[in-house]
Amino acid sequence: MKKNKSLFVGILLSAIALVAFGSTFFIFEQKQQNNAKTELKVVTSFYPMYIATVNVTEGLDYVHVENLSEPETGCLHDYQLRPEDMKLLSTADVFVVNGGGIEEFLTDVAAAYPDLVIVDASHGIVGEDDNPHAWMSVSAHEKQVQNIAEALAAIDEAHRDSYISNGGAYIEKLDALAVQIEDLKQVTQGQPVVLFHEALEYFADDLGLHVVYTMDLDEERQVSAGEVAEVMEAVKKNNAAAVLADETYGKEMADMVADNTQARAVYLDPMVRGEYQKDSYVIHMQANIKAIRDNLK
Amino acid sequence: MSSYFAELLQYDFMQRAFVAILVITPLLGMLGTMIVHKKMAYFSDALGHSALTGIAIGVVCGVMDTNVSMVIFAVVFAFLLNQINRKNLAATDTIISVFASCSTAIGLAILSRGGNFSKYSAILVGDILSITNREIFYLILIFAVTLVFWCVAINRLNAISIHPALAKSRRISVRLVEDIFAIIIALIVTLSIKWIGILLINALLILPAASSRNISSNMREYHKYAILFSVFSGLIGLVVSYFTNVATGPMIVIVASIIYFATYLYGRSQ
Repeated sequence: MKKNKSLFVGILLSAIALVAFGSTFFIFEQKQQNNAKTELKVVTSFYPMYIATVNVTEGLDYVHVENLSEPETGCLHDYQLRPEDMKLLSTADVFVVNGGGIEEFLTDVAAAYPDLVIVDASHGIVGEDDNPHAWMSVSAHEKQVQNIAEALAAIDEAHRDSYISNGGAYIEKLDALAVQIEDLKQVTQGQPVVLFHEALEYFADDLGLHVVYTMDLDEERQVSAGEVAEVMEAVKKNNAAAVLADETYGKEMADMVADNTQARAVYLDPMVRGEYQKDSYVIHMQANIKAIRDNLK
Repeated sequence: MSSYFAELLQYDFMQRAFVAILVITPLLGMLGTMIVHKKMAYFSDALGHSALTGIAIGVVCGVMDTNVSMVIFAVVFAFLLNQINRKNLAATDTIISVFASCSTAIGLAILSRGGNFSKYSAILVGDILSITNREIFYLILIFAVTLVFWCVAINRLNAISIHPALAKSRRISVRLVEDIFAIIIALIVTLSIKWIGILLINALLILPAASSRNISSNMREYHKYAILFSVFSGLIGLVVSYFTNVATGPMIVIVASIIYFATYLYGRSQ
């Protein structure tokens, strides 16, 4: 009986260990093979930075761009570091961050790797107080792209021209958006709106909208009854034309406000996640502009 | 093969995580035996939840190191629970549940003020990768304290859990031993909560002991297997989480659960 038991425990634990080590060893081997060394590894902290960097490094095959957080993670507020991320950072040459405090602890982690060059894309941008979502302003994002291009050009002197010209070409595309926003501004200038996402402040600013109330509806946000009343009050008192929200977190609240007041609900994409394509930023910003054009008259 | 292990130990954060696992898991396994034996699973769960309130109080009072407020609150909370428990006012599980819900609600209410709860959400699932040397040192300290307490008091605790009145007649100070035990649980739960997470800490306390109980026929075996299962789940969980890129705490609990189900089936077939 006694002997049986030890035998059972022994077999059980070895079986689990065998499966665990076996499968992870397999994963490890696969990874080793995939790790064909690229010459310059650029890690970006999250979605908008990734899209910008991909555009800046276009055509440079030996530059390998990887994004840290997965698309589901969204804004970095409640981001959990995984071993994979620590590894990624330790093998990276350059770490492109949005800055402004949004990657609070990621930058701390990166500080643990002294050889890693950290590029703060928001360097030199005068933004809203305590609001790091600068990529939501097309003009600020142009500056970010330029920062990234210049930083990469300084790090990788040999391909300086490519970075600068890629950056320039991408900024031209962004300029087309900026022109549309400038046109739209004639209509939107001074219109009172309520925002349901901090990130939209930049966009609203570009359009000259008059923001009468901002409530940051984020993942895990719980809204108190008092706040709802405050929003309603602000919408009515200022005769707000629209409620700008993002679809994932702000939909219920925005619909509710739109139903009960004269304001219209306009859904915009704060671009904290999305598909990993070169033109994602341009496409989504275009959609945002259209949503404003259709709803604010 | 050697490069496989080299890769595992290549980073400082992984080395520290291994050390932390080697300290925390035997501790949790050891405590778990008594918690399961004394039917206190609910109690330790409530303590885990009280950590939220501890942090909240620390934030409100402007304490720099929320660890301190968390530990103090948990000790007070454990003490209080024990007192009320002895009064036999209502069913124990009801009282504990009331206290746990109340303290969780207070903690959430304070921490969610201004919509900032996401800052603290890491504590729900834990993060063993960010452990520092200093924190490992605290864990080793509490490990030593527990070991001493265990050697001195295990037989008394055992007697109390079997028959309190009998234990009293043998001149065992039931109150004192129970209070010290509760405080040690409070200390360990709060100190390891940042690495394991509020949602999972109880699983790690209970699962190894419960698995061991399924198959052991005496106290010695009970302890031996509980510690073995606990350490084993910890190490395997960490290794698997490293390569498969999932959070470490849940992986450890998954391994521990597999062991539980296997021992359950084995225990039944005997």
